[in-house]
Amino acid sequence: MLVEILDIVVSGLLMGGIYSLIAVGFSLQYGVARVLNIAHGEFMMLGAFITWMLYNVFGVNPLFSLAICGPIILIIGFLLYRTLFTRLRTSSESIGAYEGSSMLASFGLLFIIQNVAILIWGTDIKGYSYLNFGVNLGGAIFAANRLVTLLFAVVIGAAFYLFLARTHLGKAIRAAAQDPATAGLMGVNINQVLALCFGLGALMASFGGTLISMCYPIQPTMGFQYTIIAIIVVVLGGLGSIVGSFIGGFVLGLVGSIVSYWQPGLSLTAYYLLFIVLLLAKPTGILGK
Amino acid sequence: MKKKTFSPLLLVIPVIMFLFCATANVAPAKDTILIGQAVSLSGPNAIIHMAGGLPPQTLWVEGVNAKGGIYVKEYGKKLPIKWIQYDDKSDHGTLVRLIEKLILEDKVDFLLPPCSTSYLFAAAPVVNKHGYILLGAEGGAESLTELLKDLPYVFSVLNYSNTQIPLLADQFVAWGVKTVATTFLEDLHGVEYSNRALSEFAKRGIKTVMLKSHPLSNPDMSPILKAAKVTNADAFCSFSYPGENVLLTKQAIELGYNPKVFFGSVGPFALWFRDIFGAKTIEGLMGGGAWNAKTSPAAKDLYDGIIARFGEKGIDMWGNLYYWGALHFFEKAIEKAGTLDQKKVRDVMAKEKFQTPLGLTWFDENRNLAKECHPGEIGQWIKGQWEVILPNNKATAKPIFPKPPWPAPAPAKK
Repeated sequence: MLVEILDIVVSGLLMGGIYSLIAVGFSLQYGVARVLNIAHGEFMMLGAFITWMLYNVFGVNPLFSLAICGPIILIIGFLLYRTLFTRLRTSSESIGAYEGSSMLASFGLLFIIQNVAILIWGTDIKGYSYLNFGVNLGGAIFAANRLVTLLFAVVIGAAFYLFLARTHLGKAIRAAAQDPATAGLMGVNINQVLALCFGLGALMASFGGTLISMCYPIQPTMGFQYTIIAIIVVVLGGLGSIVGSFIGGFVLGLVGSIVSYWQPGLSLTAYYLLFIVLLLAKPTGILGK
Repeated sequence: MKKKTFSPLLLVIPVIMFLFCATANVAPAKDTILIGQAVSLSGPNAIIHMAGGLPPQTLWVEGVNAKGGIYVKEYGKKLPIKWIQYDDKSDHGTLVRLIEKLILEDKVDFLLPPCSTSYLFAAAPVVNKHGYILLGAEGGAESLTELLKDLPYVFSVLNYSNTQIPLLADQFVAWGVKTVATTFLEDLHGVEYSNRALSEFAKRGIKTVMLKSHPLSNPDMSPILKAAKVTNADAFCSFSYPGENVLLTKQAIELGYNPKVFFGSVGPFALWFRDIFGAKTIEGLMGGGAWNAKTSPAAKDLYDGIIARFGEKGIDMWGNLYYWGALHFFEKAIEKAGTLDQKKVRDVMAKEKFQTPLGLTWFDENRNLAKECHPGEIGQWIKGQWEVILPNNKATAKPIFPKPPWPAPAPAKK
């Protein structure tokens, strides 16, 4: 019985680690940059495919790819915000109008990124074998690559939290999240900070993508399902709360694992059920205000 | 005066009538056969079409046009094909709208099919309502056969559970397989295959010791694999789609789960499946299908043609040859009918037999491709090649049993 409980809990944390990273990025993009980025999962997909390509073509260790994919996707995200979303924000009459138009723009972005990926990498499923052996933890066996994924997810999440909490740039981001107009008056370059937030959100998604590619088959259309999961996690953790999103990812992973143990067919159903219950019972989420 | 006017009219009227009747019997001039297709060129379903129907359909159209077209007696000449493709964006509603546009606005002569079972289900009644022939490609289901009874213009091409699973069950008996752990996708494919497997296995005294479903894009298959491992079943069967079967295989390797049979219904037939894991790793892994370049000289021509035109990503060693053979059958039916009239061509398709890359080819009374024409039902990876192992008379290699253990670093580390 103890082994089974350990199995369920660790399996949940393993899934949750990836969910957390993706959700933190989504939360940052929505909470600060005010973009409900439907294309968020596509940045994750790009991270996964670049990692796969680096591994297969150049033999680059997927963990080292984190340092290559991350900056590339961050720059793409930053430039996208500066060119597309900044223009939408400045030309919108209200924040509500901007949220609507930016969400529609991100829908378009989803199709563009997805189809570019199909043109580059084709439509077939891809994958590679990395650390593909079992590790026995107290009688329960887990894939080594998934344990490494969990470790990196926690380290990246903690480092990102420290960045937000302890650095000047992090404070500027938090100020922009709370009141962009006042933050601007205090000398924060809002356009740059919001673009950086969007880029950092994409960076977190690409980290998630790199880690996912170590454990799962990948394909160009994989992104949207993770965007949906990110939305559920962000609602679960509390809209705009980075820490809440990080915790929410693990909670969702655990819920999925418990339900999967009982009936795997209901794991995704459980996610959506949780989402609906939260919206009805506690729309502010775990740490939302 | 009256008499004088009447006599020329008596001459003119028959002449006009003769000219009218004569022109009515000759089909209007035509230079091409316009073929329309609404199919998934983007979205999740496109992945199936790109490696499934698209390569043989493209090669067929190019091949027909390279020889000048299809000879249609009604026009007294060969007519090349003009092929219009619309993207249904992997959306059933869009598919139906586009099919009606092709029929009503573009006035196409014939249609090529959409991709995958649920899309065939959506298209079949609409196409039949307009009296257009629908020659299927990807997709097929036992419940579609029921529907076909009332849809005389619809022809189903691909094999499915009713011909595959009984052979698989017989082979299990021959190997001495006593117990099976099964997982299935919660859709028509998974439900039909698992139900058929339950009944065929039970008939032969094979016990299904685990039966668990999973949703599409299930994030983690390890609970299913761990449960199957506990049962110590002789065989593990997954009736699911490529993404799910790749994940199941990957996680089975990582967890060191090594049943004597590892079977995945959709996915293992693709070359990319082998490339993900490596030939040695998936030695002995089985799946639905199947054909390969050794099936026949015509199959080799198709294999080489797809590799040359599309590369390895275009190879689908389940369906490509079925669709290719069916298209040649369609071409011969048009030639035999000597017309582009749907009803006449349909009647030829329902009754006649033609030589095609599948050999002598015909459709049964339910307008399913006759099972005698199937190039293969079950395949297995053997020494890096996807071999046909069932039925025995179509086998290209002797099957491997038990499947060798995964060669990857499987032993668990403490």
